[in-house]
Order: sequence, then structure tokens, then C-alpha cells
Amino acid sequence: MRDETVSRGVSRRAVLGGMAGMAALSLAGRVSAADTGGEAPALAGLVKDGKLPPLAERLPKKPMVVTPYEKVGTYGGTLRRGLRGSSDHNGILRMVGNQSLVRWNLEFTQVLPNLAERWDVNADASQFTFYLIQGARWSDGHPFTADDVVFAIEDCVKNTDLYSAAPAQLSVAGKAVNVTKIDDYTVKFTFAAPNALYLENLATPLGQHPTLFPKHYCSQFLPKYNPNVAEDAKKAGASSWPEFFRARCGDIEIPSRWGNPDKPTLDPWVVKEPYTGGATRVVMTRNPYFWQVDTSGNQLPYVDEINFGISQDVESLMLNVISGKIDIQERHISVLANKPTLSQNMKKGDYHLLTLVPSTSQQCQIYFNITHKDPAMRKMFADKSVRQALSLGINRQEIIDIVYFGQSQPYQAGPRPEHPWYNEKYARQFTDYDPDKAGAMLDQAGYGKKDANGFRLRPDGQKVFFAIDVIPTLYPDLVDALELVKAHWAQIGVDMKVNTIERALYYTRGDDNAHDAQVWPGPGGLDPMLDPRDFFAFHPQGSRYAIPWSVWYTSNGKKGEEPPESQKKRMKLFDEARSTADLEKRGAVMKQIFDIAAEEFETVGLCLAVGGFGIIRNNLHNVPEKQPDSWSWPNPGPAMPQQFFFTS
Amino acid sequence: MLVFIGKRLLWMIPSLFAISFLAFVLIQLPPGDYVTTYIATLASSNEVVDQNTAAQLRERFGLDQPMLIQYLKWIWNIVTRGDFGISFEWQQPVSGLIWERMALTLVLALATLVATWAIALPIGVYSAVKKYSIGDYLFTAFTFLGLAIPSFLLALVLMYVAAVEFGQDVGGLFSSEFETAPWSIAKMLNLLSHIWLPVVILAVSSTASLIRVMRANMLDELPKPYVTTARAKGLSEFRLLVKYPLRIALNPFISTIAWLLPNLISGSVVVAIVLNLPTAAPLLLQALMAQDMYLAGAFILLICALTLIGSLISDILLALVDPRIRLE
Repeated sequence: MRDETVSRGVSRRAVLGGMAGMAALSLAGRVSAADTGGEAPALAGLVKDGKLPPLAERLPKKPMVVTPYEKVGTYGGTLRRGLRGSSDHNGILRMVGNQSLVRWNLEFTQVLPNLAERWDVNADASQFTFYLIQGARWSDGHPFTADDVVFAIEDCVKNTDLYSAAPAQLSVAGKAVNVTKIDDYTVKFTFAAPNALYLENLATPLGQHPTLFPKHYCSQFLPKYNPNVAEDAKKAGASSWPEFFRARCGDIEIPSRWGNPDKPTLDPWVVKEPYTGGATRVVMTRNPYFWQVDTSGNQLPYVDEINFGISQDVESLMLNVISGKIDIQERHISVLANKPTLSQNMKKGDYHLLTLVPSTSQQCQIYFNITHKDPAMRKMFADKSVRQALSLGINRQEIIDIVYFGQSQPYQAGPRPEHPWYNEKYARQFTDYDPDKAGAMLDQAGYGKKDANGFRLRPDGQKVFFAIDVIPTLYPDLVDALELVKAHWAQIGVDMKVNTIERALYYTRGDDNAHDAQVWPGPGGLDPMLDPRDFFAFHPQGSRYAIPWSVWYTSNGKKGEEPPESQKKRMKLFDEARSTADLEKRGAVMKQIFDIAAEEFETVGLCLAVGGFGIIRNNLHNVPEKQPDSWSWPNPGPAMPQQFFFTS
Repeated sequence: MLVFIGKRLLWMIPSLFAISFLAFVLIQLPPGDYVTTYIATLASSNEVVDQNTAAQLRERFGLDQPMLIQYLKWIWNIVTRGDFGISFEWQQPVSGLIWERMALTLVLALATLVATWAIALPIGVYSAVKKYSIGDYLFTAFTFLGLAIPSFLLALVLMYVAAVEFGQDVGGLFSSEFETAPWSIAKMLNLLSHIWLPVVILAVSSTASLIRVMRANMLDELPKPYVTTARAKGLSEFRLLVKYPLRIALNPFISTIAWLLPNLISGSVVVAIVLNLPTAAPLLLQALMAQDMYLAGAFILLICALTLIGSLISDILLALVDPRIRLE
């Protein structure tokens, strides 16, 4: 049997290039329903009482086979995990809601079949034909077919009352995708322009729309299918039918996705006690129609229920972990500061640690605002040699030793060293600590005069001074790191203020282009195509060194500020890379972007992102002890919690 | 008396309007709006909101309209239909979110009130009557300790001891099997078996100050001539205490009933969060942080309404208890 879960050693290159070949393989990895193995005792009981059809009728003819990570498991148990007060809906998504048409492999290098058992892509990557698993069912037993996919995109996502613009993933060149049904189990996605990244995007959480809305259920909330929907909405206390739709059918990342136990899903577990305002816990129970089996043909999931306790406070979550009341947790507790406590209490809580491999590149990226509103500040930050001097003036090793317990290395930006697109110059330039050279460069740049306290003066006579915004509640380590940077820069005559602010204010300042500089962990370490915000002005909230340029880019030149040539070149190159299906060629294009970005030196990084960690109770098995840590690979979901199991 | 009550009730209406407007403005004062905080919250786990979605959210929630319009719409729906609006965060009607929380908050407030009084009254009277005795010093020392220890710290310590040393189920007001169960005798008993911990924690600090107040008031009253007269007429010491000085000394207790609820909600936020209590405080704090303004606004409006009702009650009670107070 082909090993679907752990396909170690496959290089990213082989993977992204060879989609079609791989898709053909996936067929071989299925067993027929006739020789299926067991089902959970509780379900077997229901079948015996005639309350549920037999297993063979609930599973697809050729259900998807999941190779367990260690071994075939046994049924039973309640898996306990923690959520935080509110807006933690993605904590549920990461655990249960990953059933898209395709999914990631464990290494985050390859897109694997999921609800689509295979697919064809045309030559310029503008048409994707998906062949769905035949006979998969929603959690209420209703068949999942091409109609559901067409409904989800054409009737829901492209409905302007629900989405005034289609989600970014599903639009290319300003036009939304067209989805057509070929037959009951075949759908064709046609984009207005090449969209070579679509399969990878589809494997991320934001790619779940095609499998999110069951037509037989959600159509009752659309005027097209139910003329009385406005009255129904009023009766239910909603102010309009779109609001009614969202409350009942949810969306990818809003709490109400987990607030309606009636909504059928394709997930391994379905909502039993919903996630609503004021809930103190969320309980999910097994989906009797789940369409995956293990290699012995046993229907998944193994675990009967998942219990998400809602803690208002991380400390009480920590308390639950060390007293053994949580079975697997990394979310909220994975900051370095908690590691000693969690290590000390491993025996008491009967757990061990799991390692998270960061997908981010930079632990602390400093974004000087090159598009600053104040001309003098703008001139200073836009001067490449100033940024280079500031970079040379940072003693990175000291920061790594003190703040990150020695667990990192000096780093600027770009893909992580283990990634095939790693760019040595981009990653390592100006990371030496050389205050003398830094001082000389600042003198050269026109900041040579000093005041009585030894701080440098700008040509206009003002002190060289700026503030770096940081959110202490979110990233306490960055505050510590910046305090050290402040001391280092004072040595070369530069005065900086560590500006600790609340996160909404942080965003507002960024949106208004009112910041001097801000810090954030720099993404793109393992997923450079999915979030290239550091490589050029890509992200209107994230490319904080030039928000107006990224607004210009995303609005196709209608808003924002026109960027310089080197930026425009990279924007063009990225658009080209995005529509290049061939991974070899795509890599070549991306490497040009990294070369230009290295030359321009827009961001100043401190060190390579440090790995997080989590805990697994010792009686929980089949959990990979090393997982990527990413939103695009929404850990632990792609590690397939449906094949986790307990020994007593 | 009835006229007085009627007047007071009428005054509540403009007060509530003013309060609701102030609350609404204050909630909106911090920079950004619900959508900003929503994006920021997701970003804290490095999660990304679809960029088209963010713009739509603002439009959908009416956040692009001027604040006055938003307020008028909100208050109009409350007055005409009892509709408190929709919680942005939960896509749920606000009224469905607040009632049970408010009910549990009231239960906790009353339980804390009873516990505080039950401890503070006798001790206060005792330390006044037996001034400078060993017992007085002992109680005084304890009350200062109680006042000095922050209640959230006490909560954390008690939780740690209970969870790690005794393996007790701490946090929350119910065992897991009762959390979502409908109300029953068994659930009530379960509530009682959990509520003592937060009650003790919350009562500790307020008890300390009330003992001091009680002691001082009693000390004021005890040397007064009417006490001497009563004693001279042969009244038993206990009846004497209860009948006159105690009634007068109770005045500050009764007149602070109205503050109890807002105090409990604002003063117990940290405790409620640490102990994971399903009361109004954590939800209100979260709503404020998320700028989920209809939810936060509804809470504040209700708390204010309850405070106004509470002060009416304390005025009526004062008139009944304190012989010196007359409404005319």
C-alpha cells in the first residue's frame, strides 16, 4: 500500500512539478468497501439497532486510505484540547476542519489528494479538473457530489450579497473562477488567467470554500432556492438573509462555522456542543459517515470525541496541561518562556514534548518605513546605506544568547536554509557585528554630527531618533530583543524608542502609514510563494516597510503610491512566478526576486525564527513528534488527528 | 414614599439614555474597529484573513457609517423591539448571549454579599465591643492580610494548590457534565459545590474593609447617651446592641448595595478570567477588547440599569432601617 501520510524524502521540486503523475498513483492506494474492517463500537451498536445504515453503505466504494503514522489504532476516548476565550475558532479549524479537495503531506512539500482523488491541470495552469471520491457522504448521510462544489462556488462564494468580492484565492486578474460540472463526480475550475499556485492554495485553510457548503442544507438560506428566506431569517432573529446564511452555514474562519450542530460537514468530527458566545467548552463527536479508513479498512476517526475546554487565560490552560488534563496542545502555550515549566512537569502531567518547525523565516523583522510621511525621516530610511549601517550595528549573537537561549542564528530574510530556494546573500549579508564600520557608514551618509550626549544629528539638525512599534502582549520576546537593539544602536549614536502599543493601534498606525518602524516575525521561510511580504511590497497589512506601495500593487495601481522600478520589477516577476506551472522555471523566477531584494536590502532581520513546541500525552499515539508550524499548514490538522488514538 | 419611588423611576430613563450614549462613545474611542481587532487577533497566530473579506466585514457591520447613526440605530432597536443587535464576533443576537451570564453574575454577587456580611458583621461588632482585646487584634491582623493580597493572586494560588496537590477540578462554576445541562436540582447542587471558591476569594478583600467600617461605626455609636440610657433602663446587652447602634452602623452596608454589582463585575474581571467563571465579566472584557460594541454596550447598559435599581433599593431599605432617615 502506498504510504500517503509519511512520504518522507520527496523533494519539493519533484513534488510540485509532478502533480499529474502523482494523482494517478493515488488510485492504487484505496481498498474497496467490501473488505472494510471495523467501525467504532458505538456506531456498530447503532447499526445493530437499525438507527444507522451498515458501514459498507456509509463509506465510499473506494474510501480514501490513510496510512497511520505509527500503527493501526483502536477506537475510543475523548481527546482534550484547549481554546482561548473567543475568536479562537481557528483552534477548532486546525484540529478538525481540514477536509478540502486536496491536502498537504506531513513535510509541507507536496499536495496530496483528499476529497478529490485525482486531478488534471491544463498546460498554462488555468484549468483544473478535479475527480471527486465517489460515494463520499456529508455527516448527515447525504452524498457529496459535483453539485455541492458548483453550488459552493457559483451560488455562494460568487453571490455578491454574501461576498461583495470573491475571496482572493478564487480570483485571478480581477475575475472570479468559473466552476462547471462535468458529471456527478467531476468538476472543472476555469480561471481567467494562469493560476499555477492554485493547488497549493487549495490545500491551505483559505482554500476550503469548495467543500464548505452542502447544497442540500445551505440552499435553504439562499433566495434563489428558497423564496421565503427573508421571512425565515426574520423568524430566526436575523436582520437579513445573508446574515442568516452566515449564522447557519458559517464561513472558513468565523466562529459561527462551529456554532450550528445541524450543518452537515465532511470533517472527521461534527459539532455536538457548539462554539457560541459564552460557551465554556466545545464538544465534537465522530462523524458516522466519515469517508477515510486506515490500512486495515477501519473507518476513521479512532477517537470518539474531542473536547475543547475554553480557558479565558493562558495560565489556566498551562495549569490544565501540567496537571494532565490536556491531551495535545501547542496553540497558545508554545512560547519559549513556558518551556521550562512544561519540561519540569512532564512526569506529573504524563506528557512529552513535540517539536514545531517554524515556517516563518525571521524571528524579528524590523520594517523601517521607507515611505514615511515626514520627508526627513523618509530620506533617512530610504537610504540603503543607513539601513545597512543599522544592521551592522546590531550584536545579533548577544540577542540570540540572551533572548532565545542560543537557539537561533543571525539571519536577514528569505527562504530558510533547508529550502531549495535559499539565497545565501539575502539571508546572511550585514549580519556581522561591526559598530566601527556602521559608524563610518552613517558618517558617510550625512549623519556624522553629534549632540552633547553623543547622539547623531540629521542634516536638518534634529537628533536621529525614531520609534519601533511592537505589541508586547503578542510577542513579549520582541520587546526584549528590541531593548538590546536599542542599547546596541546607542553605541553608534542612534536613539531608538521601543514603542510598546496595543495591537489594534499597531494595525491602525500601519494602515495610516503613521509608523516610523514596526517589527513582526517575517514569513516565507518554508512557504515563500504563499507569503512573500518581505521580498517586495506584497501585503497591504504586512509589508510594513512600504504599505502605500503594496496598496498600489493590490489595487492594480488605482490606490496607494507608485513604487520605484525595482519594486515594480519584482511585482511583475512574482505575477509571472504565480502563473508558472513548472516548478523549475518558477524557482528561477523567484530567485531573481531574491537577488533584487538582497540588493535593495529593505528589511533588517535579527535571527532565524525559533521553533515552537507543544505537548502530547504519553497515551496518545500516531502523533508526528515534529510538525511544521504554519497557518498554511494548519498544524496539527495535516498530521491527521483522525488517526490519533489512545492506549489506556 | 410611592411618589418618591415613582420620581426616581422616571429619572432613570434619561439617565439610561445618557449612560448608553457615553458607553457607546467610549467603546468606540480606541483606535480601529472590530474588523481591525479581528484581523489583529488572527494575525497573532499568524493566521491570515482574506483581504477582500476584511473590506466586506466593515461594510456588512455598518462600521463605515458615522458613530451617531450607529448609536441611533442601536438604541432605536432596543427601545422599539428589545433587540440589542448582533454580536459581530459571534454572529449571534446579543440578547441570547447576555442573560444567562447576567443571571450567574447576580447569583455570584448575592452569594458574595451574603458571605461578606456574614463574616464582616459579627466580627465588626465583636471588635468594636471588645476593643483592643486579643481577638480584636487577631481579626484586625487577618483583615489587613486579606486586604493586602490581590484577589487574582489568591485565586491562582488556591487553584494551583487544588489542581496540582489535590487533583481537584478547578475553574468554572460547573462540572463538565453539568455545563450545558438544563437547570435542575442536581445542577444547582453542582453550582453550590463550585461557587464557594470564587465567593471566598471575592469576599476576602471586601470583608476586610467592611469589618473596619463596621468597627468604626459601632465605636462611634457605643458611647452615645442613648446607649447609656438604654443600658440604665435594664435592656440586655445583646438586645441593646442589635436594636440601636447596629441599625445605625449598618447604614454604609445598605447604602453600598447599589455599587455591589458594578464593583463585582469590574473588580472581579481578573478573578473571573483566572477561574474561568461563566459570568459577565470575561465576556464583557473580551467584547471591549474586540470592540464588539453591541455586545459590550448591552452589558454596560444592563449593569448601569441594575446599579440604578440597586441604589433605589438601598434608599428604600435605608428609610426602613435607619430611624434617622425620612423621605419627606
